[in-house]
Amino acid sequence: MKEDPILSVQNLAIAYKTRKGYIQAVRDVSFEIMPGENLGLVGESGCGKSTVAYSLVGFLGRNGRITNGRIIFKGQDMQSLDEKTLRKLRGAHIAMVYQEPMSSLNPTMRIGRQLAEALAAHTDLPAEEIRQRCIKALQDVYMPEPESILARYPHQLSGGQQQRVCIAMAMLNQPELLIMDEPTTALDVTVEAAVLDLVAELQEKFRTATLYISHNLGVIARVADKVGVMYAGELVELASTEQIYTHPLHPYTVGLMRCLPDVDAPRGTRELHPIPGRVPSPAEVPAGCIFAPRCEYAVPECSAGRPSFQEIAPGHFARCWRAREWLENPLWTKKPAKSSTYVCAKPESEEPILKVEDVRTYYPVPFTTVRSLIGLEKRRYVRAVDGVSLSVDCGYTLGIVGESGCGKSSLARTIVGLETPTGGKMEFLGIDISNEPVERRRREVIRHLQMVFQNPDGTLNPSYTVGDQIAMSLKRFRVVPANEVYGRVVQLLEAVKLNETYYHRLPRQLSGGEKQRVGIARAIASNPKMVICDEPVSALDVSVQAAVLMLLQEIQQQFQTAMILISHDLSSVRFFSDYVAVMYLGKIVEYGQVEEIFSPPSHPYTAALLAAVPRPDPTLKQEFVRLSGEIPSPVNPPAGCRFHTRCPYKLGEICEREEPPARRMSMDHVIYCHLPADTLQAIHPVIRRSA
Amino acid sequence: MAVDSTMIRITPAQLRWRRFKESVGLIFASPTAVLGLVIVLIWVFIAAFAPYLTHYTPYEQDYKNINKGPSAQHILGTDHLGRDVWARVAFGARTILLLAPISVGVAFLLGMVLGLPAGYFGGWVDELVMRILDSIMAFPTILLYMIIISAVGASPVNVVIAIAIGGAPGIARLIRALTLDIRTREYVAAARLRGDRPVQIMFREILPNCRGPLIVDLLLRIGYAAFYIGTLGFLGLGLPPPTPDWGGMVQEGHKFMTTNVWPVLSATVAIVTLVVGLNLFADGLREETMRYQ
Amino acid sequence: MARYIIRRLFTMVITMLVVSIIIFAVVEIAPGNVARNILGAYATPEQEKSMENQLGLDRPVAIRYISWLFGSDWQAERKIGRPLKEIVIQQGTVERFRQWWAVDEDGSLVRWGIQDGQLYKYTRQPDGSTVGVPDEGAWKTDENGVQYFWGVDNANRAVLWVKGQGSVEYRYEYSGWRKFENAPVDYIPLTKGLLRGDAGISLRYRAPVSELIASRLKNSGILAALAFLVSMPMGLLLGLLAGLNEGKPADRIISLFGLVTAASPDFATGIFLIMIFSLWLKILPGATVFASSTAILDNPKMLILPVLTASLVEMGYILRITRASVVEVVQSNYVRTAILKGLTRTQVVLRHVLRNSLLAPITVIMLHVNWLIGGLVVVESVFGYPGLGNFILNAALYKDVYAIEAASMFLILLAVGTQLIADIIYSFLNPRVRYA
Repeated sequence: MKEDPILSVQNLAIAYKTRKGYIQAVRDVSFEIMPGENLGLVGESGCGKSTVAYSLVGFLGRNGRITNGRIIFKGQDMQSLDEKTLRKLRGAHIAMVYQEPMSSLNPTMRIGRQLAEALAAHTDLPAEEIRQRCIKALQDVYMPEPESILARYPHQLSGGQQQRVCIAMAMLNQPELLIMDEPTTALDVTVEAAVLDLVAELQEKFRTATLYISHNLGVIARVADKVGVMYAGELVELASTEQIYTHPLHPYTVGLMRCLPDVDAPRGTRELHPIPGRVPSPAEVPAGCIFAPRCEYAVPECSAGRPSFQEIAPGHFARCWRAREWLENPLWTKKPAKSSTYVCAKPESEEPILKVEDVRTYYPVPFTTVRSLIGLEKRRYVRAVDGVSLSVDCGYTLGIVGESGCGKSSLARTIVGLETPTGGKMEFLGIDISNEPVERRRREVIRHLQMVFQNPDGTLNPSYTVGDQIAMSLKRFRVVPANEVYGRVVQLLEAVKLNETYYHRLPRQLSGGEKQRVGIARAIASNPKMVICDEPVSALDVSVQAAVLMLLQEIQQQFQTAMILISHDLSSVRFFSDYVAVMYLGKIVEYGQVEEIFSPPSHPYTAALLAAVPRPDPTLKQEFVRLSGEIPSPVNPPAGCRFHTRCPYKLGEICEREEPPARRMSMDHVIYCHLPADTLQAIHPVIRRSA
Repeated sequence: MAVDSTMIRITPAQLRWRRFKESVGLIFASPTAVLGLVIVLIWVFIAAFAPYLTHYTPYEQDYKNINKGPSAQHILGTDHLGRDVWARVAFGARTILLLAPISVGVAFLLGMVLGLPAGYFGGWVDELVMRILDSIMAFPTILLYMIIISAVGASPVNVVIAIAIGGAPGIARLIRALTLDIRTREYVAAARLRGDRPVQIMFREILPNCRGPLIVDLLLRIGYAAFYIGTLGFLGLGLPPPTPDWGGMVQEGHKFMTTNVWPVLSATVAIVTLVVGLNLFADGLREETMRYQ
Repeated sequence: MARYIIRRLFTMVITMLVVSIIIFAVVEIAPGNVARNILGAYATPEQEKSMENQLGLDRPVAIRYISWLFGSDWQAERKIGRPLKEIVIQQGTVERFRQWWAVDEDGSLVRWGIQDGQLYKYTRQPDGSTVGVPDEGAWKTDENGVQYFWGVDNANRAVLWVKGQGSVEYRYEYSGWRKFENAPVDYIPLTKGLLRGDAGISLRYRAPVSELIASRLKNSGILAALAFLVSMPMGLLLGLLAGLNEGKPADRIISLFGLVTAASPDFATGIFLIMIFSLWLKILPGATVFASSTAILDNPKMLILPVLTASLVEMGYILRITRASVVEVVQSNYVRTAILKGLTRTQVVLRHVLRNSLLAPITVIMLHVNWLIGGLVVVESVFGYPGLGNFILNAALYKDVYAIEAASMFLILLAVGTQLIADIIYSFLNPRVRYA
C-alpha cells in the first residue's frame, strides 16, 4: 500500500506586490514529502526557496500571496483553512527553524518561557509537566545544564546554542513536518558540523518529515534523502540525493557542482567551470527556459518555450528540453582526478616580499558593561592577533584559514595598515612598516600593498561611478599620465572581464559578483606587488564564486602578484594557495605548503576543520573529528595551548599550562602542538567512500 | 560575463539626470510627501509673490479700520493697529521661509564640523565633542533660546544664531552616528589604502553617503525651525515689532482675541499649515527611502 | 550601577557648573540692566546707581558669581570682624523670614544702623524684638583719618558706613520708594551661596528665589503631571493601535493626527483650543486667573485647556515614536517565530510585541523632558498660568539673573534625573543591558 505524503505541493506560484505591481517570486513548484522523509531544497540566494518554505505555514506577509497551485498537508488544503485552524497547525504539526537564531528569539524573554509557550499554545499540560518537557527537549539537543538555560536570555547563549534552542523549540510538539531554513548558514564550520550531526540524529530518532533548505550542496548531501534544485523561482530538478549527485539531469545542477572547488582535490587537479551570466531578477524572467541564457547546452528551441517539469527517469524530475538526452549522455560524471601539474617551487635566495614577526593586534573591548563605561574596570583587550609570524614570497599565494574570530581579518588589516599592531615587526619590500598606519606609510608602500574586500556591497562607494573609483587610484599613484587615465580604466575593467559600458555605472546597478570584480580592478590599478584578499568570495553565490576565484588566479599569474588569501572556506584555499596558515584564536597552529596542510600529519584543529567541511557527495562517509564546545572568547584566551578546551587529543595538564612547541615536520611544514610527531602523523580526517 | 547588449554608454550628465528623476520619483511615490510638498510650495509661492498678492504693505496703518473682520478691502481683516492681516501673513511667510532654512543651514555647518571628526576619529575627539553636545542638550531648548535672545537682543541674525545653536547638537549627533557606521565600510578602507587624507575621506567618502538620512533630517529640522521661530515670536523674543512675523502676530493679537480673532487665527493657521506641510513632506520622504532600502 | 549613577551625577555637576558660568556671562554681556528694569523707565541716574550699589551689581562679575555659588558671608565676615549667622524666623505656619545677624563676643545677635548720624547697635532679644544702644565707639579710623564701620544692616546686607559721608539710598518699601540719607557707601548682599542651599534673592521680586520657584513649581508640576497622565497612555495606546494596523486606514488616520498634533507649535494648539472651547462654544475659560497661587485646584475648569494643550503636543510625539517602534518589532524575526509557534494574535501582541516595542518610547519620552518643559513655558504663557515656565520667561526678559540661574540649575537636575531614571527603567526592560 502506498503511503500518503505528509505534504504535497502542486504547481505552487507565489507573487509579491511591489511598487511596480506583482512580481512572480515562485512559479510552478511541485513536490511531495513522505512521512519520515527529508527533502533538501537547494538553490542560490533569491531563487525562492525560503518563499516556498514560508508559504507552507501560510506566512507570506502582507505583500505576498499564492497565485496558483495547492499546498496539501495531511490531506488538508492549506489555503482553505481559516486563521484559527492554521494557528493550530503552526508549531504543533508544522514547526520551523530559522536562519538567524539570534534574531528569531525574543531578546527580552527568558528561554524557558519561550519554550514553554510553544507547548502551552497547543496542549493543556500543567506547568510542571511543561517545564519537564522543556528540559527534556533541551537535553535532546545536548544543551549542557538545561535547567539553568531555561532561566537565561537569548543573548547569553552562543550562536550554536541559540540554534539548538530553536531546534528544541521546534521539536517540542513533535511535529509531523519540520521546516529548516538555512539553519547552519550563520554558524562556523565546526559548529555547523555539530548541528548537522544533531539534525541527523533527531531525524533518526523521531522520523520527522523534514524540508531542509540550504544554498550549500555539501550540507544538503549530508542531510537529505531527496533533493530539489531551485533556480530563479522554479524547481528545475527533483530526485533522490544519490541520483542528483551522480546523474544530474539539469544543466544548472551540473553547473553548480562544477563551479565548486573540491576540498579533497589536491591543488592543480581541478578546474572550475563558472556559470556565465547572472540569475535573472524575478521582474525580468526570460520567455523560454529560464536557464537558457546561461546554459552552455542551450539550443535555439530552449528560448522558445518553457519546458515543463517532467519525470524523466523513475522518481527523477527535471525541467529541461533536453533532459532525456542526458539520460544516455550523462552531463556529468565525477572524473578521476587528473594528475596534478602543480609544483610549489620555493624561489631560491630571493628575499620574501613580506615578513611578519610576532605581530600582535589587540583591540580595546568596546564599552558594553556599565562598569567599563565609567572606567572602573581594567581595560580589557580582544587579542585578535596574538603573536603571528609568517612570510610571503614574490609571486606566491599564502592562504590563511580559520573560523570567524580567529583573527585572520585583523591580521590582514594590520598588514595593510588599516590597524596599527600592538607589537611585533613587519617588513614589506625591505621597509619597516611595523608601527605605521597607512596614513603614515610611504606612497610606494601603499601603492604596492593593496587589498580586496569581503563585502561586495561595502566595497564600492555608492556615490561614485565605477570608473571614477578606479581612476582615483590611477591618479593618486600617477600610474599613467592624466590623459591616459580613461583608457587605462577601461583596460582594467577588461582585465576583470567587464567592459567599457561599466565605466559610468553606479555600484547599485551592479550585481555582487560585478562589484567584487570592480573591487579587484581597483586593487590592481596601482600595479601592486602584493594584494591581500579578505574573504573575496564568501559573500557571493556559488556560481559567481568560481568566476571570481578564477579571475584572481588569472590576475596573479598574469601580473606575478604576491597574494594573501584569507578565507574560512578550505576548498577555495586549497584551490588557490601555495602556502597555507591555519589560525585559531589569534595564533597560527599550522603552517606549510598547501598539500602538506591537507594531508597528514595535521594539527588536531586542522583535521577537525577538514572533517567538518560538508562534501557535496552523498557516497562519502566521513569519520569525524568533532569538536566539543564553543570557540573561547579572544578577550580571555585559554592559557597554554589555546585549542586545549576543544581538543579531542588533549594530553593533559601540559596543554593547559605551556605554549605548544613548534614541531617542524618538513622544511616548510610546522605544527604547533604538544603531541609527539608520530601521533600527529596519525591524525587525519578519515573519509571513506562507501562501497 | 554576459554583457547587457541594450546597455548603451551613458554620459555623466545623463547619469545625473537619471538620479534626479529617481529622487523626484521617490517624492511622487508617496502621497504624504506630495501633500506636504504642495502645502509648502503654496507658501513659497505666497512668499515669493507677496507684493503682487496684496494691496497693502504689512506696515500701512488704516486708522479708520482697526480690529475689523474680513471685508472686501481687507480679505482677512485688520489688526489692532489697522494693518492688513493678509499682507502681514503673506510677508510673514517671507520672514519664516527665509529664516528657517538659513538657521538650519548654519546648524548643519556647525553640526558637520563637530559630528564628522567626532565620528571619524573617535577617541578623545569624540569624547570631547559628545560632552559639549550633552551639556547643550541637557538644557531645555526653549530656555536656551530665551537666554540667548534675551542676551543678544531680538533680530533676524540673532534668531538664526539661537536656532542654529539649538539645532546643531542634534545634527552633529546624527552625522556622528552615520559616520561611525560608514567609516567601517570597506570603501573607506579602500580610500585609506589609496593614501587619502582624513579630510578627503570625511568629505569625499563619508559625507556624500550621509545624504539620504541627512536630507530627511534637515527637512524635518526646517519644520522645527519654523516651529521655534513662531514660538519665539509668540513669547516676544522673535523679530522686533513692526516686522511681519507670524508668532509675533499671535502674541499681539492674543489680547484682542475676544473682539477680533482674525489676526490670531490667520497667523496660527499659517504657521500650522507650514510646519505640518514640512513635516508631511519629510515624513513621506523618509518612509519612502526606508522602503527603498 | 551605583557607580554608573555617581559618574552620571558627576557629569551633571560639571554641566551645571559650566552652564551657570555661561548664564552669568551671557547676562553680563547682555545690553540693558536690571536696575533700570526694577526702577522703571523714569528713574534718575543716581537712583540707578544707588540701586546697583545696593544689589551688589557694581562688584566684578567674578566676585558676584563666587558669592552666588559659595556665598558672600565669609567675605563680609572678614570685613566686619565678627562671625555672621543666618536665622529663620517662623511667623504663623507659612510665612518665614530669613535674617542675617552678626554674632557678638558674648554670643548675642547684633545688627547696626545709623540714627541721627549716630551708629546704633541693635541686639536681638529672645522674643524677637531688638534693643538699640549707641555704639559710637565702634568706628574705626583708616590712615587718612576717615572713620568707617563695616556692619550688618536691617536689610540683610553687610554695609560700610563712613562717618559724615553718607550717600543717598533709595529703597522700595510697601509704601513706595523711600529716600534715605546717611546711607552706607558700600554693600555686600548676604547669601550663603547655592552650594550651601541658598539660591539667592530674586532681583525682581525681592524674595528668596527658592521660595518663588517652589510655589510655581507646584503649579507647573500639577499641569505637567496631568498632561503626562493624559498623553502617556493615550499616546502609547494610539501608537500601538496604529503600529499593529500598519498601512490600514486606522493607521493612516492616527498617524496623520499624531503628525499634526506633534508638529503644531504649542501656542497654536492652545490658541485653537481657546477659539473652539472658549470663544465659540463658550464652555471653558480661555485664561487662567487664580486669586492666589494655592487656589489652582479650586477651579479645575480652568485647568482643562492648559492640560489639553500640553497633552496634545506630547501625545502626538509619543504616538509617533510608539508606532515606529511597534512597526519595527512586528516585522522582527522573533515575532515571526511567535506567530509560527501557533500563538494567538493577542498572545503575540501581549507577550512579544508590547514589551519590546515599549523600550524605545519610554526612554525617548524620558529624554524628552526638556521638550516638555519648553512646551510648558509656551502653554503657561498662552493661558497666563502662574507656573515655572512663565516665571522663567519673565526672569529671562527681566534679566533676573539669580532666578534664571536657579531655574536653570533645577531644570538640568530634572533633565539629568529623568535621563537617569530612563536608563534604569531601560536596563530593567532590556535584559541585554542588565547583564551585558
